[in-house]
Amino acid sequence: MKEGKMIAMLLAGGQGSRLKLLTKDVAKPAVPFGGKYRIIDFPLSNCSNSNIFDVGILTQYKPYQLNSHIGIGSSWDLDRPNGGVRVLPPYTNEQGGRWYKGTANAIYENLSFIDELDPEFVLILSGDHIYKMDYSVMLDFHLEKNADVTVSVIEVPWEETNRFGILKIDADQLITEFLEKPKNATSNLASMGIYIFNWKSLRDYLIADEKNPDSENDFGKNIIPNMTVDGKKMYAYKFQGYWKDVGTIKSYWEANMDLLSDENTLDLYDRTWKIYSKNKHLPPHYISADAHVKNSMINEGCVINGTLENAMLFNEIHIEKNAVVKNSVILSGVVVEEGASVYNAVIMENVVVESGTKIGSPDSEEVYLVSSTNIIKS
Amino acid sequence: MKNCLGIINMSENDSTMGALTQNRPTAMLPIAGRYRVIDFVLSNMVNSGITGIGVFTGNKVRSVMDHLGSGQPWDLDRKLNGLFVFTPTYDYHSIHRKIGDLELFFENNSFVKYAKQDYLLFSKSYMLANIDYNEAFKAFLESGADISIVYKKVKDKSNAFLGCDKIHFDDDGVFESIGTNLGMDIEFNMSMEMYFIKKSVYFEILYDAVEKGNANYLKQAIFNNLDKYKVHTHEFKGHVFPINTIKNYFNANMGILKSDIEKDLFFSNGHILTKVKDEPSTYYKQNAKVKNSFVANGCIIDGYVENSIIFRGVKIDKGCIIRNSIVMQKSDIQENVHLNYVILDKRAKVSKGVTLIGDPSSPYIASKKATITREGEQ
Repeated sequence: MKEGKMIAMLLAGGQGSRLKLLTKDVAKPAVPFGGKYRIIDFPLSNCSNSNIFDVGILTQYKPYQLNSHIGIGSSWDLDRPNGGVRVLPPYTNEQGGRWYKGTANAIYENLSFIDELDPEFVLILSGDHIYKMDYSVMLDFHLEKNADVTVSVIEVPWEETNRFGILKIDADQLITEFLEKPKNATSNLASMGIYIFNWKSLRDYLIADEKNPDSENDFGKNIIPNMTVDGKKMYAYKFQGYWKDVGTIKSYWEANMDLLSDENTLDLYDRTWKIYSKNKHLPPHYISADAHVKNSMINEGCVINGTLENAMLFNEIHIEKNAVVKNSVILSGVVVEEGASVYNAVIMENVVVESGTKIGSPDSEEVYLVSSTNIIKS
Repeated sequence: MKNCLGIINMSENDSTMGALTQNRPTAMLPIAGRYRVIDFVLSNMVNSGITGIGVFTGNKVRSVMDHLGSGQPWDLDRKLNGLFVFTPTYDYHSIHRKIGDLELFFENNSFVKYAKQDYLLFSKSYMLANIDYNEAFKAFLESGADISIVYKKVKDKSNAFLGCDKIHFDDDGVFESIGTNLGMDIEFNMSMEMYFIKKSVYFEILYDAVEKGNANYLKQAIFNNLDKYKVHTHEFKGHVFPINTIKNYFNANMGILKSDIEKDLFFSNGHILTKVKDEPSTYYKQNAKVKNSFVANGCIIDGYVENSIIFRGVKIDKGCIIRNSIVMQKSDIQENVHLNYVILDKRAKVSKGVTLIGDPSSPYIASKKATITREGEQ
């Protein structure tokens, strides 16, 4: 065991079925976000910025775009001669092939990978969340408390507590109770799905959990509750700042719109904590004399001739003359033709919004997801 | 083009570029929102399939090294071939040091000698174009010539191309001679200073020039010998912008505001590649009003911008009026600043309420890291 060494295991196999068409072809971590990123860029950049250079990425659901996005990790400075990014898909062995049954099982199946890296601590991350966090500060907290497990938590609105794993803590931030999606919560501290484990101890629990045929092999449902029962020293690390689990089309749209607000706390322009992504080598965007652009974000390679207000534009998008786009997220390669209007919508890659088309309405709060074949109300 | 070695020669006359080339060679001038001049020739070579490129620098090497690095953005960090940078050395002949680039080529002739390629493509960096060398190379091989010169037929009413090389053909359209354009003809054939040379012929010319001592520059040596060899010419039909005066630099930047020129320069034969900065998308705030401008990523814009080129990471506060200007990387323009026909070099800071006015023929230049305040204010 190398003293103090922490590696990250990033769970990136989830489908995110409530995102509907957005995850038709890609896993949720590969869903585009914020004009130029994919969701997984946030935890990966956090790792790199936190000086964690051993990152195992567990993939399962439709991994092709995710794999090509990750490559050898060079976008995040994670192409390292020692360590770096390792993509860990399910595999076959003498007993045949198996899919990852749950989050804990995915780590169990890669015991030998972790053993070879021989860390003292393992950081479990989810590839589904948008936030900026220095994991090294969380590790300092873990060391200071001499904990077996540290769970990162965030205060959520009381009315949303039934969506999360809720933790109760004492004055020393020791976790006293863990409730998965409770109906009547007595705490509003939600688990962010970010854990630091002492590897030795986690290893034992993973092996025991795998032997239990009734287990769902899940961190939130099995490993953490089992450790609570055994009286392991589990602490809650309170995270402050922007954190979002974009579960639905509406919350996906909202999270993008958040970036266009003055109160936005996810500062993408902070040069001390850059979010990295794969780069496409496109020229700057062009805004013509006919265009009106207000409170919007625009990426490279776009050509704007129409009106934009509260719009999040990805790359290589053409907005033609007299087209109007308001309160919308437009993914790469979209063309909004002359005279078309788009309100409160998420337009998927390479869709052509034909001339004269009207999507959504300025008076309605309904959010629409538009693909080349159909339009879904959220 | 596997059988052709690319050689980029930075010995360019930058005495007409004023403060812009005080600390950098012309090849390293920021241009078109997110590029350096050299990115065009490098990308052209790479996009044409050249895999080995030698860059022969002048004395101002710091920005060259910083920008080129390992050559990774151009896909040139390779085991086989890749990027090689040759800087002038001072130890050997410092006392008798001659002007010119010939000595640098002679000192480093083993790079060319031991390269496996049989043909060489020499190019300066200052001719901005998006060119597919395959066509020119194929024509050169078919012609059986020893040397091929790439040229462009230009109409130059405003004497913008003074000092560029001018090619003369005889009545049968056969290459006759090459000289310097003094503006005698409005229409002429301008050499793009891109030459294909057989490797054996290159060494004959190089050794001959060193023995006779009749040339300081490689170009001079080649010109001295043109009557001995079979010379082929190839006409390039795309857009070309020589970056050899401040006015030409300014006009080249403004040229990309025309969509046909932009398409030709950035897309016609592959993308132009450059060093990646991982900037987020550009954010246009509530008061932003942008017309006919080319804007790179990472900017935060809250003012009025018209007919301008805005580089990466620029801040333009509310109340600003920026017209006909080039604002380089990370410049900070505070409230109520007026700029017209201005070039702001990198990281320039313009304080509240400053007005800077240049002239189309001679733009006002604020040098790198300059801080400009109103008289009497700090």
